[in-house]
Amino acid sequence: MIYTHFLKHQWKEMTRSPFWQKNVALNILLGFFLLIMLLYLLVLGLFIDKILLELFPDKDPVTVFNGIILYYFGFEFLIRFFMQSLPTLNIETYLHLPIKKSAIVHYVSAKSIFVIGNYLTWLVFFPFAFKVIAPEYSVATAWIWVGTMVMLIFTNNFLTTYIKRQLANKPSIVGIFGLILVGLILLNYFGIISVTDFSAYIFGQLLVNRALIIVPAAMVVATYLMNFFFLKSKLYPDEIISKKKEKIDSLSDIKYLKTLGLTGQYISLDLRLLWRHKRTRSIIYMAPVFLLYGLFFYPNPAHQGTPGFLIFVGVFITGGIMMNYLNYCFSYESNYFDNILANYRDFEAYIKAKYLLAVSISTVCYVLTIPYVFFGTDILLINTMTYLYNLGFVSFVLFYISTYSKKRMDLKRGAAFNYQGIGATHWLSMLPAFLLPVLIYLPFGLTGFGTAGLLVIGALGIAGLLFHKTALNIVLKQFLKRKHIMAAGFRE
Amino acid sequence: MIEIKNLTKIYGGETVLDIPGLKINRGDSFGLVGNNGAGKTTLFRLILDLIRANSGEVLSGGKDVREGNFWKYYTGSYLDQRFLIDFLTPEEYFEFLSNIYGLSKGDLEKFYEDFSDFFNDEILGKKKYIRDFSQGNRQKVGIAAALMAKPEVLILDEPFNGLDPSTQIRLKNILNKLKDDNEVTMLISSHDLKHVTEVCDRIAILEKGKIIHDIKTKEGTLKELEGYFAAS
Repeated sequence: MIYTHFLKHQWKEMTRSPFWQKNVALNILLGFFLLIMLLYLLVLGLFIDKILLELFPDKDPVTVFNGIILYYFGFEFLIRFFMQSLPTLNIETYLHLPIKKSAIVHYVSAKSIFVIGNYLTWLVFFPFAFKVIAPEYSVATAWIWVGTMVMLIFTNNFLTTYIKRQLANKPSIVGIFGLILVGLILLNYFGIISVTDFSAYIFGQLLVNRALIIVPAAMVVATYLMNFFFLKSKLYPDEIISKKKEKIDSLSDIKYLKTLGLTGQYISLDLRLLWRHKRTRSIIYMAPVFLLYGLFFYPNPAHQGTPGFLIFVGVFITGGIMMNYLNYCFSYESNYFDNILANYRDFEAYIKAKYLLAVSISTVCYVLTIPYVFFGTDILLINTMTYLYNLGFVSFVLFYISTYSKKRMDLKRGAAFNYQGIGATHWLSMLPAFLLPVLIYLPFGLTGFGTAGLLVIGALGIAGLLFHKTALNIVLKQFLKRKHIMAAGFRE
Repeated sequence: MIEIKNLTKIYGGETVLDIPGLKINRGDSFGLVGNNGAGKTTLFRLILDLIRANSGEVLSGGKDVREGNFWKYYTGSYLDQRFLIDFLTPEEYFEFLSNIYGLSKGDLEKFYEDFSDFFNDEILGKKKYIRDFSQGNRQKVGIAAALMAKPEVLILDEPFNGLDPSTQIRLKNILNKLKDDNEVTMLISSHDLKHVTEVCDRIAILEKGKIIHDIKTKEGTLKELEGYFAAS
């Protein structure tokens, strides 16, 4: 079976890569988090009926549960969008062999079913179906219901992979999808439609009319085929290039950057790099999703009382894109890193350019989040303080850490099959950046001095900004110390 | 100009380069030949401070190359395609380099003029990114970039690889002219014995990380080299 060969090759590719071997610690941590999550979900699943009765004593638990299903899948979609990496395969090594092309495409399309996230919430759905639905309706209905949930999970899985793939290809589709999502959230917020009632209604119908299971079944097949045909159309790497002759953009003509001397040169080089590769460009297209992330939390009255959580959100939306850039700022240049070492005479300007670009990215994000003030001035305060924290603290720490990157990143490689996006490991390595401000805030927040806590977070950032010269010098020294090791990694 | 002392490089317990002493004088044209894996690129990378030696040192102009950026002001190099910033157009790339090298607009114009023969109308004004050029044309961009700042030390790794016959001849002419000026110190590696004997006055054979021959080029040198590689 050709698929087992593919799986074996990829397993070897992964375990034999120096990156994997050196990141055992990170993988163990990831496993640990998974275990904790499994435990939580198991407990939730076992006691779900009791919990629902406790929270809504006068309502039917099935109706309540059905009412939150759509929210759940919306939330799951968001988590997947950021956490789930796309399956990849180096197709060039297989295309010339006597292997059916459709087999290659089926493999890449279907591989995402192995993602662990697809199975986690079974721990809640199955106990609920058989403890609550089965006695009230019938065992057969419980199977129909739980089957629908499983199929919707996979629909969501294929939909996410499709959208993430399209992100590099046709960003407009993603934009439209995002607008629909935002529209729904706003309509729900202003009470024009009720997602809860709608959700309760459609899943209630399923329980009385079992034939409706055909709908989710069709959805799984449809979303799978979307992936399949998308990838199939991308099988010939050269065709993608020749189809649309790349137009030369005029990014070179940013006049202001020319006045900045060498630093400006390096910035405009980085800008071109970001703009002229599909992979990096897709991150720019992802920006609206980052920024709109706040819509899910800020309007929700349940979170208004817990600014600790909103700080987390603030760090994410004002700094997420900047962190992504800083995390990879050296690996992006792995294709010509030797040139940098052999030719760049002024590494100080080089380091400064990267910092300035990071700062600009975060500043743009911050300015765009100002409209959130609509949901309260405290949200503006949170965003301002987390923005300062990102500029003056997170930036330097991540910049420093990024000198430890030595995984070659080939931005040129074909997008559709080799697109590596932002995944769970990526965010996990940045977890401390998100947790630290929450930890700073908590002692203040719990004693009733929340605003002071926020100001302390901001002050940390301002202190960093005041000493930015020293901080950048430390990064520079570190860069010079690590450059040979980085170069060796990037050459692999 | 370039002096190597007790230089060794070890990868995974295996010594890939071991040069007790080597001196390349100002104005020398030094050719390096050897089979795959002999250590040619490793040596060049050590001279350019791209990798760290396990022992010994490389002196450029009497000073250890690890001590700073001083050698970058007079050294031009092109080792492989990894030197190209391939999402730029050739013009953008040359302009970027000219800024790094501190060249003026006039210098850049002069450079385009000097290399118009070498480019053969295949490089400039194409409105294409470097990554969309053929391998041979990318090689041209890289070699021209190495020569751009009129370096005193020129380091080229397999420069003839992938070039079409006309361009190979043009490159030989350019290099021979530089040699006649007697100012430029050249280090050129090649698999092609004929090319290297035509360009270099001094040729060293590298085998398994050791320099086993170091000879002045004269009439029978090509035969001698061929004889050596046929036997080994």
